Amino acid sequence: MSLVITVTPEANNGKRVSIAGSLDSNTAPQLQQSINAEIDDSVSTTIIDFKDLDFLSSAGLRVIFKTKKVMDNNGGKFLLVNLQPQIKKVFEIIKALDGMNVFKDQDEMDDYLAAMQNKVKEGE
Amino acid sequence: MNLSQLHKQTFVVQSRTSECAHLVELLAAFIKSNDIPGEINNDLRLVLEEAFVNIVDYARPKDKDHSITVEFNNNADSISITFIDSGIAFNPLTDCDANIETDDHCEGGMGIHIIKSLIDEQKYDRIKQHNVFTVTKHYNK
Repeated sequence: MSLVITVTPEANNGKRVSIAGSLDSNTAPQLQQSINAEIDDSVSTTIIDFKDLDFLSSAGLRVIFKTKKVMDNNGGKFLLVNLQPQIKKVFEIIKALDGMNVFKDQDEMDDYLAAMQNKVKEGE
Repeated sequence: MNLSQLHKQTFVVQSRTSECAHLVELLAAFIKSNDIPGEINNDLRLVLEEAFVNIVDYARPKDKDHSITVEFNNNADSISITFIDSGIAFNPLTDCDANIETDDHCEGGMGIHIIKSLIDEQKYDRIKQHNVFTVTKHYNK
């Protein structure tokens, strides 16, 4: 029951944090460490990709909430994608999905990002 | 091992969160051995983790390394997990005032909210200087 964290660059100074395995009390500090090292005010968008995450506990949720707070304070975007049913259920229990940008898959998120990009272009 | 032995299993583990992974494996094996529907495995794993971590964080005297007894009980249509520890009196059901939005009041508040949402019965007793906390989940075979 380990956690594998992969951070990859995204367009426009974004970063995708893909987490695989178990995000629990033992592995949450690893994610916090990666987030601290990778996410600062130069990052415009942080995407947390849950595609290969099997298990999530409240210790893991705290890291997610802290990261959202950092992005909110920096005026950046914070997106969650590919939540498996058992992961979504944990968010729903603590009513944490309201106010979060959650996308069921990559296509849905791409549509959102394209729409945001168009909005920026229109404003230019 | 005959089936009657599988209805109850007791483990004594050190009061540290790193023991949780071991307990999760033992719980999965218990569920499988007792023919308990696998779909409640994830809920029980989450309850086990949240309860155990709460007890490790709050009930133990900070300067002492001590153990926690964990019991799995299978009763035909329900499974119970009991945590027994000799730490300071700590009722996770009431001593962790949950603020699930910020989790500021008590780090374990969010965990207790998760436990209450997933479990059918929960009970806390202080017996002979021990905390005894039991959670029960019903299932249909």
